[in-house]
Amino acid sequence: MTSLVNARGVSKHFGSVRAVDDVSFEIEKGKILGLIGPNGAGKTTLLKAVLGLTDCEGDLSVLGFNPFRQRKQLMQNICFIADVAVLPRWIKVTQLLDFVESIHPNFSRPRAEELLKQTNVRLGAKVKELSKGMVTQLHLSIIMAIDAKLLVLDEPTLGLDILFRKEFYANLLNDYFDEERTILITTHQVEEIENLLTDVMFINDGKILLDASMDSLSEKYVELLASGEGAQKARGLGPIAESEMFGKSVMLFEGVSRDHLEGLGEIRIPSVADLFVAKIKEARR
Amino acid sequence: MISHQFALIRRELWEHRSIYITPAAIAVIVTLGVLAMLVLASGFAKELDLAIFGAQNIAGDAERKAALTGFFVGTSWVFLVALMFLTVFYSLDSLYAERKDKSILFWRSMPATDAETVISKLLTAAIVIPVVTAVGIWATHLVNLIVTSIWVSAKGGDAGMLIWGSVSLFDNWFAALVVVVASGIWMSPFIAWFLFVSTWAKRMPILMAFMPPIVLGLLEWIIFRTQYFLTTVGERGDMTPLFHSMSLERFFEEEEWREGVGNISLLEHIDLVGFFTSTGLWSGLLVCGILTTAAIYVRRYRDDS
Repeated sequence: MTSLVNARGVSKHFGSVRAVDDVSFEIEKGKILGLIGPNGAGKTTLLKAVLGLTDCEGDLSVLGFNPFRQRKQLMQNICFIADVAVLPRWIKVTQLLDFVESIHPNFSRPRAEELLKQTNVRLGAKVKELSKGMVTQLHLSIIMAIDAKLLVLDEPTLGLDILFRKEFYANLLNDYFDEERTILITTHQVEEIENLLTDVMFINDGKILLDASMDSLSEKYVELLASGEGAQKARGLGPIAESEMFGKSVMLFEGVSRDHLEGLGEIRIPSVADLFVAKIKEARR
Repeated sequence: MISHQFALIRRELWEHRSIYITPAAIAVIVTLGVLAMLVLASGFAKELDLAIFGAQNIAGDAERKAALTGFFVGTSWVFLVALMFLTVFYSLDSLYAERKDKSILFWRSMPATDAETVISKLLTAAIVIPVVTAVGIWATHLVNLIVTSIWVSAKGGDAGMLIWGSVSLFDNWFAALVVVVASGIWMSPFIAWFLFVSTWAKRMPILMAFMPPIVLGLLEWIIFRTQYFLTTVGERGDMTPLFHSMSLERFFEEEEWREGVGNISLLEHIDLVGFFTSTGLWSGLLVCGILTTAAIYVRRYRDDS
């Protein structure tokens, strides 16, 4: 596997606050990595460091470049959507295409126009005349027409309704992603993307709590729905989190074999959202 | 780098349409004013056969040439004043608006460096806006000479001799281009200051741009009872090295054209060698370089996006 992003001991502090605190990780080619964390966890700061928008301490290499020092070269092979609202409101769609075509060596205008034909975005319209969903479609069409190795999405569907959110991710997966491309995504709507992800990374207080493939999660983490004596016995196996649901205990186990839990209750694969909540609570204890 | 500059400057023209709307609006207003003047001249002074640009008797060589040149210089100054306001507001807005509407995140997602972006804005303010202004001046002159020629011809005058033969058209147009472009280069330290404030100010860049020099000038006066700072800043507006041999008094009273020899040449009064060898130009460019670098640095390093 080829490593696209390589971070070793990366930190970023604002005064005495350490937004990113000595993190190390790798992102390999062909992965869709979800970077998940609560507000103020350091997600956006970490993404900015990856995108070369902010300097940081430690060793950070993206596509072999130092992102802050070699941002221009990096931006030829990397795309990002920081927020749906960032397209300039005064610009016309055609002007936007003209601009990207003239400045980005890997942009295919025919591809962008083909993608836009599938939307309600008119080429002659100004961005300010488009709905929020249409602006996202426009931005995504431009991004998908760029032959980039790494796509970074920071809360890309914030403020969009469910239809647009579903369509956004469907387009991304069906029309864009392949084994040559890598996507790094942050979002609060974990449930909507967990089926897309190949890997997941939890971040809290600037530190990485979990960095694993989705496949390994189902092996390492188990959720048990139990009551009565089964629940009592399960508690003895040391769940990392426990909550109540419909009078039953929902327990999350880390590194406990399913064999040990058999017969104690209903065994399930935990959702990423449940796992995230459990790991955050565990870290704050 | 150069193709990026073209793309980035074209982007500026898309965003700041006032760059070409303002000269176009002035051209229309001046033309309407000239038309009104021509109509009024005939309406209220029926004894006059011909009156153009305020000259009531254009049969006289000196008066006619003075009227035509006065019109050339007068309209050019209107454009220059508009150019000044346009440049100030453009420079102050160019790096501030992108932060305000957060579009900076989109622009920075493209493979253009902060240096390329800031330099494109500097070039737009110092070169592109002046060139567009010069085109506005040329168009205004041309349209009004045509309008006046039609007027003079309708009154039975020889427009070829009275209008077109009485003015050094290309000489004056080239002079207008030189003056507006030179003014952009000469004022580049101010432009760079405005760009720096535009990328640095959290709010109200116009206040942030003008308050520090005023406060500095006041402090100098309070502490030292001198006004060197504000005087130096104010005198830069004169563009002395470019016009050092020109005086309006001499221009309209002592020139050869009053004796009927040739037409008025504005270009003769421009000293390009003096301009390019003046310490004022080069020290200004040095300040421009320092402030532009500071603007690039702030855009690159500030993290409020």
